Amino acid sequence: MASEILTPEVRVAPGRRVLLHVKRWPASLWVGGLILALFTLVAITGPLWAPYDPTMFGTGIPFSPPSSSHLLGTDQLGRDVFSRIVYGAPIDLFLALASTFLALIVGGSLGLLSGYVGGWFDDVLMRIFDGLISIPLLIFALLIIAAAGPEESGSMVLLIGVVALVYMPRIARMARAVAVDLATRDFVTVARTRGESAWSIVRRELVPNATGVLLVEFGVRAGYAPIIIGSLGFLGFGARPPTPEWGLMISENRSAITADPIVVLAPALALALLVIGLNLFTDGFARVIGRTIQRGPI
Amino acid sequence: MIVKLVIKRLFLALVTLLVVSAFIYWTTAILPGDVAARVLGRESTPAQRALFDKQMHLDQPVPVRYAIWLNGVVHGDFGRSLASQLSVSGIVAPALSNTLLLGLYALVLYVPISVLLAALSAVFRGRPLDAGITIVTLVGLSLPEFALGTLLLIAFAVIWPVLPAMATIEQVQGPLDFLRTAALPALTLTIAMSVYAVRMLRDNLIDVLNSDYVRMATLNGLPRRRIVLRHALPNALGPALNITALNLAYLIGGVVVVENVFAYPGVGTLLVNSISVRDAPVIEAATLIVSGVYILANLIADVAAMLLNPRLRTS
Repeated sequence: MASEILTPEVRVAPGRRVLLHVKRWPASLWVGGLILALFTLVAITGPLWAPYDPTMFGTGIPFSPPSSSHLLGTDQLGRDVFSRIVYGAPIDLFLALASTFLALIVGGSLGLLSGYVGGWFDDVLMRIFDGLISIPLLIFALLIIAAAGPEESGSMVLLIGVVALVYMPRIARMARAVAVDLATRDFVTVARTRGESAWSIVRRELVPNATGVLLVEFGVRAGYAPIIIGSLGFLGFGARPPTPEWGLMISENRSAITADPIVVLAPALALALLVIGLNLFTDGFARVIGRTIQRGPI
Repeated sequence: MIVKLVIKRLFLALVTLLVVSAFIYWTTAILPGDVAARVLGRESTPAQRALFDKQMHLDQPVPVRYAIWLNGVVHGDFGRSLASQLSVSGIVAPALSNTLLLGLYALVLYVPISVLLAALSAVFRGRPLDAGITIVTLVGLSLPEFALGTLLLIAFAVIWPVLPAMATIEQVQGPLDFLRTAALPALTLTIAMSVYAVRMLRDNLIDVLNSDYVRMATLNGLPRRRIVLRHALPNALGPALNITALNLAYLIGGVVVVENVFAYPGVGTLLVNSISVRDAPVIEAATLIVSGVYILANLIADVAAMLLNPRLRTS
């Protein structure tokens, strides 16, 4: 579910002015923003009011249905599902944002530099990145996890690194296209004749002009990151038990869906709502700065 | 001119495949653990292990091993599985044909479902039906495949048990039984692909329906059904081909998770199992073949786009 930003050519964005006009925000920005605010609030304050410890066994009879003491019932070990969902919010939210941010910084700089410098550096780097992009995203992630070995499996650092590595060449490609377009502009030529170095031109001329496109790219990627993290957890290569990660929760309780579907439904809906929030917010933001996102599969 | 471009594109695809193979080999070559001790057991003597390492070329540096492996791959030999000692081609081939069968099944469902929903959404644009379809596709593209698959499983195998929950196709009798057994994984993949196509095709169709020639056809009194089916739809399909090519490429990756949800015996299940037991030769073969199909799908899409659109042939 990658996506391309249909207008890679850089325009002077009307962004800042419209962003300040809260009344002119599109509905998607509002709804997405509200959902994200809710998730952030739950992620930060959850531990203060969640009724149970998310890893405590036997808070009730296993697979008991929703009741006043267990809002979403209990799972196969008698853990409180509602508390696990609440404690899972910071995990999925933080992993998604941190990994995408890392990929944006590394991939964005490499792509801008490659597109501006051109020549053999650009050719070699892009051939390598094309190769990496040709490995289906999830398989790429699984390969890195396999290479890291079972000792590293389940560590948050590895998960962030894996998602960042998977995204890095994809973001770099996009940033390169922007840089190739910007490199011909007069203000870049002026900077070059002033004798500025390539890195300084990237930092001072290209980055400020590419910010809008890069931020939309960040939003789109961050919106898909929870899906990767959840899928890895589901396959048994992501977060480790007893972490209340939503993908892992779905796979842990799958064997009992006939008896108690809520234990599986609740984390699935939480994950979907987070992704919907991120996607709506990004769509709204893109519209405010005058871009359209055409979502496609990865 | 076009032939030259196609050859250039083909060459680029080969370079890409080479980069991919090097990356795959390098990542699996550094898999931790003493392979010889794992395969031969703890009771094996150091001499036995040394012999094993020599036979498997494990005493050589990684670039040399890569060259030996690549030479074998080019000749159709992927080596032997570390877990079962069977030939890797013999393990991967049936899994691959199962996966391709599932992909084909999903694709056959995907085309009519996407076109029908997009056409309904565009014709009734702004009405409740359109809003409903738009919301459903938004939810659809926000749901991970494993969650979507699990939801379908709850719906059609638990609450309303009409389809089997596990797609164990080893015991199927006849093609009809296969269609029933593999229905849930195929449907999951179809929905995951259709959400994008429906959104895109709907927007294209609305553009076309607002165009002058459709207005002209309406003013000439042509029946609405004929306008949509004969005049608008064919012109809206062109741009949607691109997303179908992307979907094809997605299908190859998405199948990994979906197969695991329903225990479907394809490449995805094989890959996850071999990563669990760190069976490097099988991991290498499975990922390389999947990536190869992915590159091939993109190549075909690019060449088809070049053939259909002369403007793409210039650069």
